[in-house]
Amino acid sequence: MRRRRTIGLAAFSGITALVLAACGSGGSPSPSPTSGGYNAAISSVVAPSSHKGGTITYSQSSVPDSTDPGNTYYAFNWNFTRLYATPLMTYKSCPGTCGLQVVPGLAAAPGTVSSDGLTWTYHIKPNMKFSDGTPITSADVKYAIERTFAKDVLVNGPSYWQILLAGNAAKYKGPYKDPKGDLTSVDTPDPTTIVFHLAKPFADMNYVAAIPQTAPVPKAKDKGANYQLNPISSGPYMFQSYQLNKQYTLVKNPNWNPALNPQVKQLADKIVVNLNANANDIDNRLIAGGIQMDQAGTGVQSAARARILSSPSLKASSDDPITGFLWFEYINTKVPPLNNVHCRMAVMYAANKTTLQNAYGGPYGGDIASTAMPPNIVGFQKFDLYHALSKPGGDPASAKQQLAACGHPSGFTTGMAYRSDRPRDTAAAQALQAALAPVGIKLQLHGYPSGTYYSNYAGVPAYVHSHDLGIATGGWGADWPDAWGWFQSLVAGNAIASAGNTNIGELNDPVVNSALDKMQAPGVSQAEKNTLANQINTQVMKDAVMLPAVYAKALLYRSPDLTNVVVQPYYGMYDYGTLGTK
Amino acid sequence: MTAPLEAPADAAPETVLAGAGAKAIEGRSLGQIAWMRLRRDKVAMAGGIVIIFLILVAIIGPFLVQDPTIYHNNLINPTFSRPNGPLGGISAAHPLGVEPVTGRDMLSRVVNGARVSLLIAFLATALAVVIGVVMGVIAGYFGGWGDAVIARLMDIFLAFPLLVFAIALVGVMPNSAFGLSGNGLRIWLLVFIIGFFAWPYMGRIIRGQTLSLREREFVDAARSLGARGPYVLFRELLPNLWGPILVYSTLLIPTNILFEAALSYLGVGIIPPQPTWGGMLSDAVSGGYYAIDPMFMIIPGFAIFITVLAFNLFGDGLRDALDPRSR
Repeated sequence: MRRRRTIGLAAFSGITALVLAACGSGGSPSPSPTSGGYNAAISSVVAPSSHKGGTITYSQSSVPDSTDPGNTYYAFNWNFTRLYATPLMTYKSCPGTCGLQVVPGLAAAPGTVSSDGLTWTYHIKPNMKFSDGTPITSADVKYAIERTFAKDVLVNGPSYWQILLAGNAAKYKGPYKDPKGDLTSVDTPDPTTIVFHLAKPFADMNYVAAIPQTAPVPKAKDKGANYQLNPISSGPYMFQSYQLNKQYTLVKNPNWNPALNPQVKQLADKIVVNLNANANDIDNRLIAGGIQMDQAGTGVQSAARARILSSPSLKASSDDPITGFLWFEYINTKVPPLNNVHCRMAVMYAANKTTLQNAYGGPYGGDIASTAMPPNIVGFQKFDLYHALSKPGGDPASAKQQLAACGHPSGFTTGMAYRSDRPRDTAAAQALQAALAPVGIKLQLHGYPSGTYYSNYAGVPAYVHSHDLGIATGGWGADWPDAWGWFQSLVAGNAIASAGNTNIGELNDPVVNSALDKMQAPGVSQAEKNTLANQINTQVMKDAVMLPAVYAKALLYRSPDLTNVVVQPYYGMYDYGTLGTK
Repeated sequence: MTAPLEAPADAAPETVLAGAGAKAIEGRSLGQIAWMRLRRDKVAMAGGIVIIFLILVAIIGPFLVQDPTIYHNNLINPTFSRPNGPLGGISAAHPLGVEPVTGRDMLSRVVNGARVSLLIAFLATALAVVIGVVMGVIAGYFGGWGDAVIARLMDIFLAFPLLVFAIALVGVMPNSAFGLSGNGLRIWLLVFIIGFFAWPYMGRIIRGQTLSLREREFVDAARSLGARGPYVLFRELLPNLWGPILVYSTLLIPTNILFEAALSYLGVGIIPPQPTWGGMLSDAVSGGYYAIDPMFMIIPGFAIFITVLAFNLFGDGLRDALDPRSR
């Protein structure tokens, strides 16, 4: 994932296992009373209350890619759309490791898989209604998935269904171009049952079912890309009005049945979202009390950060959770002399992790990273292969040894790609350049526009080779909290693409590839998955194809007007589903 | 020049033209008269002195200051990403303070930035002037279909979406070409982009001037004595065009400085860590650091402001001195 479509987890050390099947229809956790304080909402629910009424106002400095649940890839929107669209599965609303569990949403129970791993069956809750009073059936879920195949109309969401499903999934064009066609690999034998037939075994199906694309859409009300203006609600709120690029307003859904999704609540009377506001103005109004939430959930600007951190009372109303995003630099395995692993290791040792951390926003912008996946992906074990934590200023002595082993004792020259319109990328590229110069590694910086960074430049191996781009900046957030979801696009040999490549290091290591395949084999246990996750993480670091910089954090301001405020670790921001106002 | 109704107390009367005073009357060339006029224009002279100072800074300054790429982590408060101490961390070692995030010395970055910004502006202006004068004189003097073609060409250039073109061109440019690489190549690329698209402004003015000059009596006189095209162009027209060329070059330089700053601001200018004024402004604004460390924006902004103002004031003064009627 490249932009703010960061879906990931917050940082909680000591995650043991993610229990999926045994959850049943888990209700909301009983909130523990708390008086607030810095980082209070990371470990508990702040200001728990069942008080109803009032208006919650959100603002954000940009616009959502779409408010259509089938057409969005932003983390904040996967969080927010649950207010009006309930997917088959969803994440539990609770702090800490508890919030990483995927639990039933519209589904009555987690999906069941056949012994060959190829067929997944879900039963949806009976007698549920849309906001217009019509009943929700499994056919509405199937239609919601079918319409995401129309990539020319709904351009933004992920494409897991196209990859996973069997039958005509590879060539089906969606219901707009092909109104008589049918997605043959999804069956709805009765109004409460939906069956998915997969092309090959896939163990992470419940995570995919938690993507908003599975929220039901009634075929009769679908208007293609314009469905976002008034999506028919299957959540506690429904659209009242939408002024495109300016504001949208949600009001209570009269047909809402709280049993449909216990992870969200219907407390406030009204929810207003202001779009395209000035980022610094949002922070000021958030602190002054004019609005209650920055919808993007990516943290305050540097001015407000200085203000919050220098005032003890404001700091007590803030949280700095790990967002689940990792900032790192790709190191290419094909560009000489970096095709020699010792030259790549020299880069890993020589990098100054402190200046990199400063480039990515300092200690409140992220913790120094020493592994290729963040500490909150299931199966994570901490290690420090390249002394990132013990010698954060860099380890030039070890770097020199590796350079000698590589056959370039006095260093070498290579190119580094970065996104020149991103201040943090630009700062990181310069910080790395300054850190590598003393050991003789000269970086020539090449800035590219972020909009075409993957499609035209760093994501095109032929361009990378011809322009000698040995290093490239990157950032990643997983679509679900699992090592396969994290690593598949980043390091799998079969993920290397001729354009839009996300395995920019071009790693094709059989150890990594086979471990990734084993993770989705039928009948794989959680303990085996954890072992594999650690194996992949260690091997990727040994291969030295990713120089991790920081596990990103975002300083969030917790408005005192709000009740039930808790950081949902999967989204890495406040849980928008349970908020109320005093 | 209109005579002042009331002569200011400190201003001498038109001694140049009147030739008053104890000295013997002596003949003065047009250039000398212009210089006398310019010297009495205190604002223009101040601008000129600033320009000379800036050029000296750009040439010898980088040898006198520290390395602009050295990080000073100890001078930065990582929590707020801003320099320790007031006014952006001003100290004896760092007279203009240090950059947020990195702690790089601001004075050395401004001085090194002056070199790149002025180099690009001067070279781009020179390119624009050469192309503009040649095209303008050809169009104005020969007229006919050549004039029509060149005039339309100028329209095309003026209507060209230059920023989009610049962004695209910098994107597709290889790392090394024409025996140059990195910033060496990038500087020439920027000079080409800025200069090659600024010539129509100069070309239009020169064409207009040439059109009116070629009908003047002294040109007719030269022609009637048998002078041919090249002689008329170089000996009769060009000396009379030096005034506008000089004036509009001086006024084109600040435009080009701003354009270079804009390109750097958009990220298609000089490659970091080489500092430029526009790049520094861009860092301050896009990273939002201006809000926590205003000096980071004020210093390069002031440098651009002073430079553009000095060139504009000097250019205005020069125009008044060379062509009093235009006042």
